[in-house]
Amino acid sequence: MNRIKRFIVDSAYTVQTAKGYQKRKRFFYNLLENSESRYKKYFDIVMITLIFVSIAILIREVKHELPFHLIFFNSYVISIIFFIEYLLRFWVYGSVTQAIIKRYEYDTYLGRKFKLHKAFRNIIRFKLVYIFSVRAIIDLLAVLPFFHELRLLRVFILFRIFKLFRYTRSFQTMASVLATKKFEFFTLAMFASVVVFVSSILIYVMEANNTSSPINSLYEAFYWSIVTISTVGYGDMVPLSDEGRFVAMLVIIAGISVLAFTTSLFVSAFTEKLDEIREVKTIEGISKINKFYIICGYQEVAREVALALLKKHKHLIILDEDEKRVQTAHEDGFIALNYNPGSVESYEKLHVDINTQVETILCLMNDDVENVYTALTVRSINKEIPMLSLLINESNRKKLQYAGINEIIYPQELVGMIVKELVGRPVAFEAIHELRSDNSHINIHEIVISKRVLENYGLVSELENQRYRLVLLGIYKNRYKNFYFNPLDDTLLEEGDYVLMIGNRVFLQEFERHLNKKNET
Amino acid sequence: MKNVTAFVFGFNNYATEIIDNIIEEYQQVYLFSLDKSDTQYKENTISYFNLDDEWEEIEKLMNTDNTIAFCTLEDDATNIFLTISLRASFENLVIVSLAKDKESANKLEIAGANKVIPIVKTTADIISNMMNRPIATKVLHNILYEESDLKIAQISVQNAERFHGEFPADIDWSRYHGIIVLSIIHEDMSKEFIYSSQTKHKALVDGDILVVTGYETDILAFEKTIGRRHYVDWGNWSW
Repeated sequence: MNRIKRFIVDSAYTVQTAKGYQKRKRFFYNLLENSESRYKKYFDIVMITLIFVSIAILIREVKHELPFHLIFFNSYVISIIFFIEYLLRFWVYGSVTQAIIKRYEYDTYLGRKFKLHKAFRNIIRFKLVYIFSVRAIIDLLAVLPFFHELRLLRVFILFRIFKLFRYTRSFQTMASVLATKKFEFFTLAMFASVVVFVSSILIYVMEANNTSSPINSLYEAFYWSIVTISTVGYGDMVPLSDEGRFVAMLVIIAGISVLAFTTSLFVSAFTEKLDEIREVKTIEGISKINKFYIICGYQEVAREVALALLKKHKHLIILDEDEKRVQTAHEDGFIALNYNPGSVESYEKLHVDINTQVETILCLMNDDVENVYTALTVRSINKEIPMLSLLINESNRKKLQYAGINEIIYPQELVGMIVKELVGRPVAFEAIHELRSDNSHINIHEIVISKRVLENYGLVSELENQRYRLVLLGIYKNRYKNFYFNPLDDTLLEEGDYVLMIGNRVFLQEFERHLNKKNET
Repeated sequence: MKNVTAFVFGFNNYATEIIDNIIEEYQQVYLFSLDKSDTQYKENTISYFNLDDEWEEIEKLMNTDNTIAFCTLEDDATNIFLTISLRASFENLVIVSLAKDKESANKLEIAGANKVIPIVKTTADIISNMMNRPIATKVLHNILYEESDLKIAQISVQNAERFHGEFPADIDWSRYHGIIVLSIIHEDMSKEFIYSSQTKHKALVDGDILVVTGYETDILAFEKTIGRRHYVDWGNWSW
């Protein structure tokens, strides 16, 4: 391999592994192309604003003299911004270095001589794909008003309107919906073209020799045909001969058919794609939620759990194979998808990072087989995510454990334990039950000891919980994963510890505020 | 006074779990099934009952003041009918019924059940608590269901004079063997949280019940110091 090739390959590897370069490129890619990026929305808003400003200036300029700075802003500043955007898009479209490395490794693997020209050919090919894409062409034409002195080029400012398509998702959705009916629209267009073509000739033949007829040229005949077939009918040109009127009747009938057909095509295209559009929107919404629970199945227990979590302002997603149950979940105000919780594809389609976004997966179907299957599906894609499952039949407990469920809830066992406490220690049971209940005014809160809290409260005695009429039940030491009941006053608090306080709900909130208030001062 | 007799109606997983958990608390536990074939399955332990009968057999076994009945039939409508039948025949019987949903729970209450356990709601509450307050839920669960050394007990105050008229909210309970007092139940059965405003103005009197939590040995020591373990008189107990 000669020196130039070696230099190019080395440079490609250097750039490809340069964290700073890749980070920046990823940032611009997310900004320009990744609809899930939080910054893209703001970028799009800025660009849309620039487009409207540009159009407003153009309109104003038609009949008014504009100050120089506005013309300068429109012709140069906006154009330069658009041009930078164009270049950035050109840059992030594919990777030059990756193409070189890929080719180099491919040739090396096959024991061939590295063919740099083939790598460049690939690069040129995919960059050309970008350059000649409709969107890129519109982007480039929108930059042309930069050459403001060439007055003809100022009309290209209108291309900035087309740029709106790029930033407004609804246009893209509409285009994709209509694209599904390409064949039907093509057929319709062909039919309309034939009708227009034939009727134009016919009306010309029938009317052109009639001196009192307004249709004297083929162009006028074509204009009349278009106006008639579209059912607009301005009335500025009307056929006068009987033959011409007969042609007009045929064209009107054909026009009504074309219009009806077009309307039905639009309606059917949207009806067919409506669920898909909704699903895409839902998934987009889900990917933006930071933390949420996934509830698999939406039967009785799942519904109650979902409502309880909703009360606590928790985000949750419901997956259920049954369409009716999904519908019920929608009616209850939840994000629900008609996905099979036992399928890997369902989780892939969600486009979420299970490790960081999902708090817990709850398998709450009334069937142990389905819960085990779902658990195994989740475990096949993620080993760490906490999972909780309902157990319907005690004999299946071990199967759920083997499937990787962390917490198992067996309602029959719960009832047994509750009954035991009820008959043995009813008063104590009621006391604890009240603490757990959201409807009681006496409650238990777990308060995390953050770094900020720790700056002012190093010992248990410093918490002053008694001043707020709160009982300190104990401390959960995160470091030791252990609970220390009724700790002594000189017990040290550590970051990440949880203190369990019991008391009136209002006082508990006041106490939490007190912890932070002191920090502020 | 401990309970003597328990009737469990319905032969299913709920019933067996209930029996497993109460068997030590009662002198006699009777299991009844609506299905005759169940009695053949476990001949000596399951009796057949009919919703149309006059409960004569059951009445013979019953000590009304110390008997509890668990209605665990799977069908909510039948369970409600069973509950109302028992209430119509035995005014003082303590009836605990299971319900699937809230609607059935309301009907069971109207039908005369002293306590209704709504299965779905209870399960869902446990799950949502585990999600919202995992540590607190685990600690309370362990205290209540005895999976840890920590226990909860209700202690009846026998020698209130030792507190010298001090109000419950002002007493440093930690000096009493390291236990925590959660609440007080007065003689009129009104409940107060230990730091509620009333406990700042009402001194302890003999007969008050303290709901305490702590290690078993500490609770025993506390019990010796101030009173005795309190058992509920089911005849007077209202839910």
